[in-house]
Amino acid sequence: MNKQATKVGWLLASPYLVYSSVFFLIPLFWALYLAFTNWNLISPEYETVGMQNFIDAFFSPSVRAAFWVTYKFMLMFVPIVIAGSLFLALILHHLPRWKGLFAVGYFLPYLASGVASSIVVKGVISYNSPLNQFLRDAFGWDIDWLGSPILAPLVIALMMAWKFVGYYALLFLSGLENIPKEVYEAAEIDGAVGWKRVWHVTIPMLYPSFYTVTILAVGLMFGIFTEPYVLTGGGPEYATHTWQLEIYNQAFEKLNAGYGTAVAIINSIVTFASIFVFRKVLEKWGGKHGWE
Amino acid sequence: MAGSKTWKVGLLYVLAFAVLLVMVFPYLYMVLGSLAPWNEVDRKLIPSSLTLRSYEWLFQGGEDVVPRPWLRAFFNSLLVTTASTLLMLVTAVMVGYALSKVKFKGRQWVNNAILFQMFYPSIILLIPLFLIVRYFGWYNTYWAMIVPKAVNLWAIFMYTNFFRSIPDELIEAAKMDGAGHFTIIRRIVWPMSRSITTIIFLFLFMERWVELLWDMLVVNNEKMLTLNVLLAQMFGPYGGYPGPMYAASVLLTLPILVLFLLFSKNFKEGMQFILK
Repeated sequence: MNKQATKVGWLLASPYLVYSSVFFLIPLFWALYLAFTNWNLISPEYETVGMQNFIDAFFSPSVRAAFWVTYKFMLMFVPIVIAGSLFLALILHHLPRWKGLFAVGYFLPYLASGVASSIVVKGVISYNSPLNQFLRDAFGWDIDWLGSPILAPLVIALMMAWKFVGYYALLFLSGLENIPKEVYEAAEIDGAVGWKRVWHVTIPMLYPSFYTVTILAVGLMFGIFTEPYVLTGGGPEYATHTWQLEIYNQAFEKLNAGYGTAVAIINSIVTFASIFVFRKVLEKWGGKHGWE
Repeated sequence: MAGSKTWKVGLLYVLAFAVLLVMVFPYLYMVLGSLAPWNEVDRKLIPSSLTLRSYEWLFQGGEDVVPRPWLRAFFNSLLVTTASTLLMLVTAVMVGYALSKVKFKGRQWVNNAILFQMFYPSIILLIPLFLIVRYFGWYNTYWAMIVPKAVNLWAIFMYTNFFRSIPDELIEAAKMDGAGHFTIIRRIVWPMSRSITTIIFLFLFMERWVELLWDMLVVNNEKMLTLNVLLAQMFGPYGGYPGPMYAASVLLTLPILVLFLLFSKNFKEGMQFILK
């Protein structure tokens, strides 16, 4: 460690240091201050209001909606995306040829803009769409997809699953490819064949991939904005009202910058705590089965 | 026995192909919707004939609606995304190199700061970030969309890890020959990291290209909107023009697909590193 290296090191790291001071540290402290004010984004006058924003948020129906909507999304999205991506990974893993070609194809949805895919989804389920025509003609079902508080979140969860299933499949695939052949051979000698083999060898060996995918999928649900913004605007009756929509609406539509910041802080605490709990539960569950 | 195996493999391919169809279906629907006659958009799965009317509307305008600046928005997206992505790549290579190959005092400290920041929920910063950008006088300018997105922590993290796998001896040997750090980056480190750079570039470009919330906040001048924002905001008032919607969606999707398919050869190699 000489002086020269120190100079060069700091010089090379300077873009990060400058960036983080201006666009991380300053806004961070600013946020911690703003959350305790009643500033409205425009007026030069505002005052500190103590914990009032946090108290208001606690009793606010829209914040409560955002809180529960996130878990509702999770309940739909996480099982679908895990089952789906594992399924895709298993297909890819067993394909003797053109594996890469199919993998690229499955990955394509990940590249789509949330706005563009929302437009397509809105078209596919619009009143006169071929799908709805078919459901009407064949079963007499007249479904108002985005008008139903149960179906609207499901539509968004399915759309998100479509987008992420190929990406997570690649995570599972690399997990599958990292299982050494010897493990299977040893298991076969011990009599593990068929489903036994899947349950006692494949799934435990895939545990790290399960863990990563679950945590990623859970975390993702706390940050949804584009899809509900374009598709439902948070409706019907707050059924798809996410944290990000709440923060955006409060701060930039209703101009409650102080209150919006307080909601953002609550959102990150809830996110952090939820992911922590999920991690602990997963680790405990894995540990009980001797997986790690 | 051999017969049953062929049968199984055949079934696997049928399955794989069926899944592929489901995955690309929305893309097909989008393209067909953009080419369909306007009275068949969202009403027929396969249009009875194809027309370029939606694209003409997009670029030349219709009978009763002044055309929105789609080309300008496309250009805005291209400019903002390219500038941000290149800056993110350059800064990530610089910082990543410093953290992995320059043994400087405080290196561990910087490394920890980056890790902490990566797992930090950035939503808290949204409102004050907006205020800072407005304070700088960047509201409604390209700066607002480029500068706060010029450094990417994930990219730094990836490059740091990748450069660690480059042997130190190589760097030392170059230093013996009198090469400075910038020459080493340009001549040795950069060329060696081509496959991972491809993937990082694709991910950064894609994420920047589809950014909605930030670009929507810092710009409200019609001429400055990115394509993604324009499309999102057109959705309400122009809901009666689904054909052009799909045409604009195609316009939004195409650059990413082209880039991705162009680089798909390096995909697997680079991906393996990213997924580790």
